[in-house]
Amino acid sequence: MYALRKIDKVFPGVKALSAVDLDIGRGEIIGLVGENGAGKSTLMKVIYGAYQPDSGSIEIDGQTVRFSNPRQAMHHGIGMVFQEQSLITNLTVMENIFLGYEQQFVRYGIIDWKAMAEAAKAQLAKVKLAIDPSAITSSLSFAQRQLVELAKVLTLEERVDGDLVILLDEPTSVLAREEVELLFSIVRDLRNRASFIFVSHRMEEVLEISDRIYVMKDGEVVDVVSRDVADIDAIQHKMVGREIDKEYYREQLQKAYSDQAPLLSLEDVSVSGRFSNVSFDLHAGEVLCLVGTEGSGREAILRTIFGMEHPTSGQLSVRGKPVARFSPQAAVAAGIGYTPRERKVEGIVAGMNVFENMTLSQLGNYSRAGVLNVSGERATARQWIERLAIKTPSEHKDCGGLSGGNQQKVVLAKWRSGGSDILLLDHPTRGLDIGAKEDVYDMIREMSDAGVGIILVADTLEEAIGLAHTIIVLKDGVAQQRFDGFLTQKPSLYDLLHHMI
Amino acid sequence: MSMERIKPHFPWITLIVLGTLVGIANPSFFNPAGLVSLTADVVPLFIMALGMTFAIYIGGIDLSVQQLANMVTVIATVYLAQFGIAVAVICIAAGFLIGAISGYATTRLYVPSFVSTLAMGFVALSVAKYLSGQRALYMDAELRNASFGWMFDNTAGVPHELIIAAVLLLLAWFLQTRTSFGRSLKAVGAGELAAVASGLNVNRIKILAFAISGGFAGIAGLIFSVKLSGGDANLANGFLLLAIVAVLVGGTPLTGGVGGVLNTAIGTLIVMVIRAAMVYLEVAATQQQMIFGIILIIAIGLTIDRTKLRIVK
Repeated sequence: MYALRKIDKVFPGVKALSAVDLDIGRGEIIGLVGENGAGKSTLMKVIYGAYQPDSGSIEIDGQTVRFSNPRQAMHHGIGMVFQEQSLITNLTVMENIFLGYEQQFVRYGIIDWKAMAEAAKAQLAKVKLAIDPSAITSSLSFAQRQLVELAKVLTLEERVDGDLVILLDEPTSVLAREEVELLFSIVRDLRNRASFIFVSHRMEEVLEISDRIYVMKDGEVVDVVSRDVADIDAIQHKMVGREIDKEYYREQLQKAYSDQAPLLSLEDVSVSGRFSNVSFDLHAGEVLCLVGTEGSGREAILRTIFGMEHPTSGQLSVRGKPVARFSPQAAVAAGIGYTPRERKVEGIVAGMNVFENMTLSQLGNYSRAGVLNVSGERATARQWIERLAIKTPSEHKDCGGLSGGNQQKVVLAKWRSGGSDILLLDHPTRGLDIGAKEDVYDMIREMSDAGVGIILVADTLEEAIGLAHTIIVLKDGVAQQRFDGFLTQKPSLYDLLHHMI
Repeated sequence: MSMERIKPHFPWITLIVLGTLVGIANPSFFNPAGLVSLTADVVPLFIMALGMTFAIYIGGIDLSVQQLANMVTVIATVYLAQFGIAVAVICIAAGFLIGAISGYATTRLYVPSFVSTLAMGFVALSVAKYLSGQRALYMDAELRNASFGWMFDNTAGVPHELIIAAVLLLLAWFLQTRTSFGRSLKAVGAGELAAVASGLNVNRIKILAFAISGGFAGIAGLIFSVKLSGGDANLANGFLLLAIVAVLVGGTPLTGGVGGVLNTAIGTLIVMVIRAAMVYLEVAATQQQMIFGIILIIAIGLTIDRTKLRIVK
């Protein structure tokens, strides 16, 4: 009924989708799985009209269609239930449901609120939600909002004649088990009218609800399995798509870390609303991975160590000295470097060149009485360009024009050249291609050898297991389990998952 | 050659094209003595725009400069007798302080700079009105000449005003390109979040940028006051729009991070040429602001970096 044929989508420096084929039958539920960066969200955006494919075609009932925006896709019956909820929280439920489609209730230029409330009730009934349509959205629970999202998309039933295709992006991530059951039963009930594409990290749920499962990796569909023959292990293997050999994560280069006094220690550190009573020590040469789901407090811990958030209780010490003042300036001065997840926004300054970016955190080292020593900056930059094999025509090239991997190298060079020996890496390989990832892994090993202590939030669990000496599993801001002794034995994926969810 | 490559060269191309057009229509425009005096006339505006460049370079704006200059004309006139040439220090310090307060409000209290500087501008205006008793004040000619007469002399045919402007431009250029402060300004303008994550004291840098803007407005007000030999709470009215136009047509966009003080020098000359053209075309003085208002919107439309702005309100 709905089909994608050979869809390609290229972003500067990345092939996000290549030759993707996908078919959805009437009333079918298909699952879409893949690692972060495998191309799932790009594919979803192509389907609901937010992106236009560079080549390939989209067909509905054999007719080729082209959407230049999500609204046009909606007119063809394609709706999206967003993971990050798209409801506007200070509007009422019914205003949200009919946002952009209020015209049907307008009489003499004025909205007939009663009619809208009636219609909203009918929509809410579809998802078995008995709430007042004039309630302000912010007063609802997350699960209720998720159902309102679905109800909003289901208004397509009345507006569109043909079949519907509804995308569900991680709809269960904020739901409790019984809410997930409810959502699934609603989805199953709706199959007479709509087909669904279900995206989730929770493999059991994907298996439970989907008729067929599309497995994506590096922008391609690597396999399509039907539920009867699906097997979690096999799918996960395909998602990763390679024998996870020791070479990939440079495990043969991993050495024991120093047993001297720790570089950094946290004692019962809490930030209210983010994480509580987190304690650990970081030693020279150690790679310590914080593992958990989104919102488990991993990033917040990094940002607290870097002085961007202030602990509400507990003590943080750097080289045995308690930290009294929390600010990024103080952290940088104490030898802490931070490689943020949002590389293009927080990592590099686009519009500044390579050497300007490298010395940004250490202008004091390259200036006297505030006057810069530009030739010194350039010399350092050239040295690090050589050392890390950064692909750039010169140190004068705008950093915004480098590829992701090279940008990341510039960020790492910034901290390394400034002598930081505590590095906080937040998803350092996110969005990088395999070669660039391996470069980052090499650099991590090299830094460990040089006595740098690294706290890592990895892009995937395999990466965490491959790189770490120590793993701390977090859930809802609380450390659940610590894994040590990686040189002799590593935990499995399931050991970690078990404590994460 | 792509549009993006040409864009940085727009300002000086515009200047040359406009200058040539005006010169063809009115050959007396190229008369050197006339050009020098035209240029000397825009010196107070240029200095104000030079300061404003710092505020815009970090992605903010300073709407207080005109009122600061108004206030300083009054301060200079009132206190000249008492302090002599040292009144200059008071004038610059007053501008610097008010700019710093705007900067503090912007960074620490999260008041957007267009509001904080607008508000501080009214504070300055009020100070001017209070100090002047809402009257136009005049400097004692002898005192003025004794302290500041040198400003309007010539050396080898070059008016000292132009030398002052050149020295300040050099100073601002040095600050922008050769100091760690200037580098930090660029980082804040081009990527504030990355500047924060690099451990820069972004708040201090921003406060300083607004303070410098205020300080330059103080210098502009002082020169203007000495030039007209008096002070008045409305003396510098009409400067604000022109100063913003000078910065923006010079090629420093409202989104910050690119352009800089040399661009503002070119921008000010463009403003000068446009003014000369309007005089030649006999556009009434009352209509000039209308034209500059439209030029401002066009200049912003052409220069702004839309990728940095997701929502404009």
